[in-house]
Amino acid sequence: MSKNILLYSAILIFGLVAPFVFPAFKVQLSILCVLIVLATTWNIQGGEMGYNTFGNILFYGLGMYLCASVQVGMFFPLAEWTESGGEKTFVHTPAQFFQGMAVGLVVAAVVPTIVAGLIGYAILGLRGHYFAICTLGLGVAAGEISGGIEIIGAGQGFTTPPFPEVGGLEARGEFFYFLSFGALILTFVAVRAIYSTRFRLILNAIRDNEDKAEAMGIETMKYKIIGWMVSAFFCGLAGGIMGGLVGYIDSTDVAFDGREMGVFMVLMAILGGKGTLWGPVIGATVFHIFKEGFWTFFLGWQYVALGVLIVVIVIYFPEGIMGWLREKYPEKFGEVIDEKDRKAQVELK
Amino acid sequence: MKISKIILSFISAVAILLSTSVTSFAKVVGDKIVLGAAISLTGKYSSNGVHTQNGYNMAVDRINSMGGVKVGGKTYKFEIIYYDDESNPKRAAQLAERLISQDGVEFMLGPYSSGLTKAIAPVTEKYGVPMVEANGASRSLFTKGYKYLFAVLAPANLYLDVAIDLAVEKNNGKPVTVAMAFEQDAFSQDVRLGVLDAIKRTGSKKVIDDKLPKELNDMAATLVKVKQMKPDVLVVSGHTKGALTAIRQIAEMKVDVPMLAMTHCDAAKLSKQHGKNSQYALCASQWHKTLTYKDNFFKDGMKYAADFEKEFGYDPPYQSAESSAALLVFKDAFERANSFDQKKVRDALAATNMQTFYGNIKFAEGGQNVDKPMVLFQVMCDGSGKCENKVVAPTKWASAKLIHPIPKWSER
Repeated sequence: MSKNILLYSAILIFGLVAPFVFPAFKVQLSILCVLIVLATTWNIQGGEMGYNTFGNILFYGLGMYLCASVQVGMFFPLAEWTESGGEKTFVHTPAQFFQGMAVGLVVAAVVPTIVAGLIGYAILGLRGHYFAICTLGLGVAAGEISGGIEIIGAGQGFTTPPFPEVGGLEARGEFFYFLSFGALILTFVAVRAIYSTRFRLILNAIRDNEDKAEAMGIETMKYKIIGWMVSAFFCGLAGGIMGGLVGYIDSTDVAFDGREMGVFMVLMAILGGKGTLWGPVIGATVFHIFKEGFWTFFLGWQYVALGVLIVVIVIYFPEGIMGWLREKYPEKFGEVIDEKDRKAQVELK
Repeated sequence: MKISKIILSFISAVAILLSTSVTSFAKVVGDKIVLGAAISLTGKYSSNGVHTQNGYNMAVDRINSMGGVKVGGKTYKFEIIYYDDESNPKRAAQLAERLISQDGVEFMLGPYSSGLTKAIAPVTEKYGVPMVEANGASRSLFTKGYKYLFAVLAPANLYLDVAIDLAVEKNNGKPVTVAMAFEQDAFSQDVRLGVLDAIKRTGSKKVIDDKLPKELNDMAATLVKVKQMKPDVLVVSGHTKGALTAIRQIAEMKVDVPMLAMTHCDAAKLSKQHGKNSQYALCASQWHKTLTYKDNFFKDGMKYAADFEKEFGYDPPYQSAESSAALLVFKDAFERANSFDQKKVRDALAATNMQTFYGNIKFAEGGQNVDKPMVLFQVMCDGSGKCENKVVAPTKWASAKLIHPIPKWSER
């Protein structure tokens, strides 16, 4: 237990001092936090529940648009803000900016949760590939639809409110870093708490054999929906933060970015090891480091390099980093191997 | 739990990695002025991204070989750090941040496309980094009150409204019917707003107003409607892909329309690669090599085009020309500011009033160039099937007469 406390406090301290020790990396670190949130929440479906979803990007994009819309709409007419020909310039005062952001983030988290409940009720009856393909469609459809809605900028995109003139040059980066770090902590603590209850076992039961789970009297539908709502809550929150951080929302390239973020979140969870608490965290970190490295050193070829990485992962680490570690050092995971028994088995063969 | 040990060592590894990779270097290193640019080398804008990069490189080489930039009695040379933004605004914003805070860049060149410029501008603005951009034309860039953004090009709403005026003029001043198809992106939608304004102004009527998807490969549905409605003008805008798709399918489906107005014809190399299929297409352009603007570095458009062709093997589209012009503007501003102080350079940029081979450059309050009109050229072919872009409007620059209406496919 003491080691656990040591670990968590080390992470917390690292997180708190990181923006000051590595000021140049604030944005990358903020994005890392968002990536971890996305991977961790994807893992609830993909890893624990065995439902491979590509639809979580829907909640992320929804959160992004909602947060920005609320932040603007609370103080100014939204339509005039997004209309590109508008000659008027709106400027948020610091108080307006932060108030808007706070309310925006709440909306960005709550509304996708409700949406997840509704959509989940409709489509969580699908299983396997059918569910995966259906959710894939959700993300694509959301991107196309939002690209046609004038009030949120349609194809023009949506410029989120610029950061107000407070603090120094570094204020914006620090604000968004701590926001995303906060979201990360919140997500991790919540997911960890959830995983320590019976809920995780139910999700695992659904993954391992849904019909049996149902036969045992578990209302699988209810738990699947709740699981998805939990994911949606944090995805929406992450989206809201990311919108402010990027500063410009485009329907298919930034918000409902299934091609990148939507795939990355799956990849990160698999890389780290799905079905584990730490897997997505480690996966996201490793992935982000590799990605940034490739972008620096293989200019123009980064996706080729990334593709090679994915192939290597799939071939050599099919169970992810955590799975690989577990196989290699089972004793570190609290698994005891009875040498005698093992030898006896080997001899039998 | 033993795995905590593994994770702990992992975290420390990350920390060490981060601390060793801080390689900040200043904007002016020795005798170099380092500029930063995020360019679309991959993704949907990759062809125009390369046009932009070639334009930048061409000007850097030229300025450096002709004496460089003189500031405070010392001569400096330009150097550019490039990153690939993958045609993705999220990536572009990240890279701007990276160029400024990690690479220590204090002056930026713009990316390709309005959407990406929109994503980068808030970042450069926040850090007070002057950015001269050559490929972000969306009007909304210039109404946000940005102080460090300067665009050498005319805003997007001016691209094709001239075409509507021209159509009305050819129709003896009577209103025309207009069919429109625009890609769902910041630039094309702005072109659309400009066309809408022109339609309103001339009392014309829009009969089709279609939105095209971003990964644009098919616009047959729109063209079927055009065949039915028989509008006087068909306006299409969707970067290079839009121009290519339109020309390919109009020829395939033999769509007859009296006037076809587009953007990005030269970037798509229509006249070279599609020859007679692209004949009579009317194209909005920021620049054309036959314009008679002059400067000391590239002399004039014809010389620029020849040098560019020698270097890169193709006729320069306006995207390259305007990108080269951005460097000339920077050079001029540095020398007038006689300093590398960002504020002073910014003020010098705001006071820019010069002529380059690409056109006159003078910035309005919002940062857009107000001293350079758009031109329209038409793809014209001779008997042997060799096609060329000829400027037809405005009359001051025209080297050929507009062919109107476009002959029917059955008569070609």
